[in-house]
Amino acid sequence: MANLNIAVIVKLEPDFSEGNVSYNADGTLNRAETKSILGPHSAVASNAAFYAKVRYGAQIAVTTMGPPIADTALQQAQLLCDADELHLYSDRIFAGADTLATAEVLKTGISKIEGKMDIVFSGHRASDGETGQTGPQTAWKLGFTFLGNVIHYDVNMQNKTVRARRMISLQGFYDVVEEVEAPLPVFIAIDPSYKASFNTVSQRLAFEKYQKEAKTRAQDYKQYLKVFNAQQLGVDPKLVGLPGSPTIVYKVERIPKAKASRKAEVVDGISREQVAKVASKMYEVLEGMVIK
Amino acid sequence: MENYDVVIIGGGSAGLAALKQLSNLGKQAILLEAGKQVGTKNISGGILYSKKPKNGRAYNVEDVYGPEFLKDAPVERRITQYMLHSTSRNKVFTMNLTSAHEYQANFGYSVLLNRLNAWFARHAGETAERQGGGIVSGVHVRSLAWEGEKTVIETDELDPFEAKAVIAADGVNSEVAEMTGARTKFTPEQLYQGVKVVVKMPEEIIEQRFGIGPDEGAAHLFAGDITLNHIGGGFLYTNRDTLSVGAVYHYDSLMNRPSEPYTLVNALLKNPMVAEYIKDEVAIKEEIDKNLPKEEQLRIRFAVSKLIKNWNELRDTWHSPAARKKLVESGKYKSTEEIKARLDFVQNELADKYRTKFVTDYVELEYGAKLVPDGKRCAMKKPYLKNILFVGDAAGRGVFVGPRIEGLNVGIDDAVRAANAVARAIDRNNFGPQYMGEYYSESIEESPYTRDMKEIDKDYLKIFLDAAKDVPKDIIGQRYGMVFRPMSSGTLRGLAVGFANILGYDKLLPLIESEDTYVQVPVELAEKMGRPVQATYEPTLPTVAQRVARLKYDDDRASHIKVLNSKSEFMKKMVTLCPTNCYSMEGGDVTLQHEACIECGTCAEETEWRHPRGEKGVVYQYG
Amino acid sequence: MKYQHLYVVIEHEEGKPVPVSLEMLGEARRLMDGYNKKYSADEKVVAVVLGHDVRKLCEELIFYGADAVIYADSPELRYTRNLIDTKVISQIATNKELAAKFSDASGFVKPRYMFFAADNIGRQLSSTVLAELESGLASDINKLVIEDLVIKHEHKTKGQPEKYERTLEMYRPDFSGFLWTTILCLDNRNPAIEREYHPQGCSIIPGVFAPIERDDKRRGAIVDYLPKFDERDLRVKIIDRKIVKSAVDFDSNKAIVSFGRGIKDSPEENIKLVAQLAKDLEAEVGVSLPISKKPFSVSEGTSSTYMIPDRVIGTSGRKVAPMLYIAAGISGAMQHIAGMKEAGFVVAINPDENSPIKDECDIFIKGRMEDVIPLLLEELRKRKPAIKVRK
Repeated sequence: MANLNIAVIVKLEPDFSEGNVSYNADGTLNRAETKSILGPHSAVASNAAFYAKVRYGAQIAVTTMGPPIADTALQQAQLLCDADELHLYSDRIFAGADTLATAEVLKTGISKIEGKMDIVFSGHRASDGETGQTGPQTAWKLGFTFLGNVIHYDVNMQNKTVRARRMISLQGFYDVVEEVEAPLPVFIAIDPSYKASFNTVSQRLAFEKYQKEAKTRAQDYKQYLKVFNAQQLGVDPKLVGLPGSPTIVYKVERIPKAKASRKAEVVDGISREQVAKVASKMYEVLEGMVIK
Repeated sequence: MENYDVVIIGGGSAGLAALKQLSNLGKQAILLEAGKQVGTKNISGGILYSKKPKNGRAYNVEDVYGPEFLKDAPVERRITQYMLHSTSRNKVFTMNLTSAHEYQANFGYSVLLNRLNAWFARHAGETAERQGGGIVSGVHVRSLAWEGEKTVIETDELDPFEAKAVIAADGVNSEVAEMTGARTKFTPEQLYQGVKVVVKMPEEIIEQRFGIGPDEGAAHLFAGDITLNHIGGGFLYTNRDTLSVGAVYHYDSLMNRPSEPYTLVNALLKNPMVAEYIKDEVAIKEEIDKNLPKEEQLRIRFAVSKLIKNWNELRDTWHSPAARKKLVESGKYKSTEEIKARLDFVQNELADKYRTKFVTDYVELEYGAKLVPDGKRCAMKKPYLKNILFVGDAAGRGVFVGPRIEGLNVGIDDAVRAANAVARAIDRNNFGPQYMGEYYSESIEESPYTRDMKEIDKDYLKIFLDAAKDVPKDIIGQRYGMVFRPMSSGTLRGLAVGFANILGYDKLLPLIESEDTYVQVPVELAEKMGRPVQATYEPTLPTVAQRVARLKYDDDRASHIKVLNSKSEFMKKMVTLCPTNCYSMEGGDVTLQHEACIECGTCAEETEWRHPRGEKGVVYQYG
Repeated sequence: MKYQHLYVVIEHEEGKPVPVSLEMLGEARRLMDGYNKKYSADEKVVAVVLGHDVRKLCEELIFYGADAVIYADSPELRYTRNLIDTKVISQIATNKELAAKFSDASGFVKPRYMFFAADNIGRQLSSTVLAELESGLASDINKLVIEDLVIKHEHKTKGQPEKYERTLEMYRPDFSGFLWTTILCLDNRNPAIEREYHPQGCSIIPGVFAPIERDDKRRGAIVDYLPKFDERDLRVKIIDRKIVKSAVDFDSNKAIVSFGRGIKDSPEENIKLVAQLAKDLEAEVGVSLPISKKPFSVSEGTSSTYMIPDRVIGTSGRKVAPMLYIAAGISGAMQHIAGMKEAGFVVAINPDENSPIKDECDIFIKGRMEDVIPLLLEELRKRKPAIKVRK
């Protein structure tokens, strides 16, 4: 009996943590040698969805577009949000998709989930692609109101509205915390700083209960997994993958090293005498006595 | 406001036992724990006992958790050997106290609380959930107030809620006791300060070194010069593949002549006998040639780290029958011989290719400390206030008499009694002090542990004296004279003990718990009758900074402790007595840097002492 | 021509332009001046402004390079709301009559190019607008070139070489900061999937381009647009707006201390050292891009305080110009340098003399930070009582 239907869009991304990430000598990522995990922003989105499960008993479906191994991301997401369904949209023709083409697949998939979606969550952006475009574009195709940088949300089940707080940082100005209210359905791109908080004993107990359930489910995640290829999904092949992508990657090159703009004085870091001189210099600079 | 019948504050072994018992009785109970998970803020020496007293009954851990406990609780080793060593320089005199350890005992298991309490939590939590209750962690209680019959509990993390009954299981520095005024803070005379380190040691090496089988364990106690003239002693317990090594001293003895806790534990580790017990093989990386190209240096560094990690893992596996079996079953290796072959290969590779040295040293995993309430001196006479029942360390209860060191089992026994009292109150919906508190208090009076906190058990004394029969009378006689000489004689013993009980613990304790007992006598014993022991290496002792660096913390920016008088004599001593050097002198003032605090409570008496907010503070890995 | 002009979506707070708005106009001006010369054309830089009572802003935009400003004024547009903003901007972008007000708009369907700001609002808005306009978008751009290209692409050109004129090459730094990926938005010329994709859209990183010098002699057209709202579009209500102090403040501190992957031997300890140094110097703490990906395991508190995108200094984060900049354990990737090269005085702490940061600093302290910073702290403290650092 779900009175709230939720979907979460996640992505499988490189694991940047030390020990798992592998960099080439020139500083670029060695993808082949780097493990893949549920992207950190996708994880935050999963946590946000879990809040709805604990507070409102929501039904959660986690979706992703990717190769067959992307089901790992779905499993990890299920562990975080006790998902009831896991959907993987996987087909060779989806490959090479830019964000618009990806959004087309996701929108088609989400529209097919049983039950009318009330909230769709995505992370702020992927940690490798980092465009942050797929979420809003999927929202647009779904026709859902888009709310970005959400740091807190609550659902009014009677009015079928959501109240959210958004963190808007205006560089060069200040930060604004905006409180908005929107009728369901909405698409929420969750801010990286989002932390779900459960403030009563009963919510904490519900949290534990669903966490335990999540662990059990995730161990057996294939039971909850549905894989869709392009035909099963019913997408228009002209709108997905490379054919459906307005943009292409034309070339990749090293950013040229700019000419040295300063000449450094080299100092021995374990010589107290030399470090002392640097300390003095620092205070001179701060006092405004040194003009460069 | 949400409302619950009973709230247990503190997720240590006692609190968890109360939760399990209440749930066993079909009651809904909530347990609040400040740590992010249960077990991260617990530390014990430690050994968990189960007792079968001749008179009265003790509620043991297996009574509460059922046969599950003996079947698969993560206890370490069943202690089958219990030795007391008197030390002086490189001489040791050993007494076998195994019979004393087995006195009225079903068993004694060495334990590491991080994993044991986690197991308790899993079981107690599951049972509690079936009754609609459960464990809420990451929550720190900030205040308790009474509104009519109900108690309103405020925490740092949750909206306030009500409870009809409260079980305070929040340890020796009980904030509940302090906030409600149920008792005053314990003073140094009433406390011990315990410090310990967990030492790594592969499973089968432990068994070889200590002469025990896979189902056995050893407990060694130490007195003599290792105490640096303080009243108390050292201990070394064998866990499955680690050792718990530490020292426990009377806090007032430490106040008289402050010694840094890490100095005390170091004195134990340096003792030749202990050093030989704790030694293991360690890989030391060779300095990489700086003239090599940077990429090559990186490559070597990475390769050596990986190989050493591999070597340690293989070695630990090789020395553990269960791990060997698992590895072979997983198909990674075809036989155990292959594991050994691979281990040798890796070792040779490290030695030949990378000039890694393999030396003798010990490997320290975790450093910790806690205060221990001396039940003989500070057990709460009536361990309740209104509808709050105090158990275990929070009530100042524990049995510490000579080599008898029992805290965990006392807490569990108290917890069951408290749970029973609360369940009874729930049935009648009467939580008044006369109906619930008094009932609990009377039940505590009946506990055999309470008796042991008040009187000398003559049967225990007999066993101890029998074990000590090799001790020359002249060493003892000179010191304890009239009172104890008769105790050596079987016939007069009963009389002497009776007489001693009339005198009372408070008159006798200064005699028993004295420098004579813990320092002079053992030193003399060792010098006169001890056998020589030689250390074959010098252990590399970490500095306190290194020990702190190895601990995990979740820092709360603000300090959880407030210094009240920065110039007092007590606070000046904290500069020495804080186990993690949180206090320092700046100008004439004692200042606090809270980041390294392990919440032992050593400074509690003269500070506004609180635990950090939920999830914050120290996170023990072993406990 | 179906596709004409460069539309720039302006961001402002109560009529004050966000700096990147003027930067975008500057780059737009330079690009279109070059474009018009090369192709003998007369296409315009058109600023698009949504707001209420902000006409003054429109005039300013002309002084900063716009040929025309399309201005939609409504109380409903006072603050950004993605849904209605997207619809209004899309209406404007596809409105021929508006284009006719400042150009020969025969055949006009959509803009040729479109710029947005690459800040949170702009990135989300650009995504939804380009979705509505069914065209392509590249985000976080820091270099732009208009070129005639010959492209051979399996899908777009069915493998045949095709000439694409007036293509906008959009360069974006990747997450490592070492590589430039060039994105193109191209029509599908392959008959099987034939489609036109315009506008070529991109969002532009703040602090990369320079505005032109304000020229109050410039003239241009301000075109008013009456936005059409669907009742349902107004369903998002802003209940409250509070200005809050940023947790991370790079602008009011004279000094910044940043750390990078050099903390790796003992991350928790080293971060503590850096924080202490920052405290002593009354500085803010910054991080290099890799740190924001939380590569090292540290306590929860440390991670959520320091390893966050808001502290990143570089092209994908903040551009800073403090009097004193200290880079500890930072090798000096291009994108980080771009973020701090305007600093007054730069001190680097690094054990490797071959790291690129050496060419971008004034003093290079050779050593590991765990050795150098404690020493530096001692020496700073010795000097502190005598000299008070004025704010």
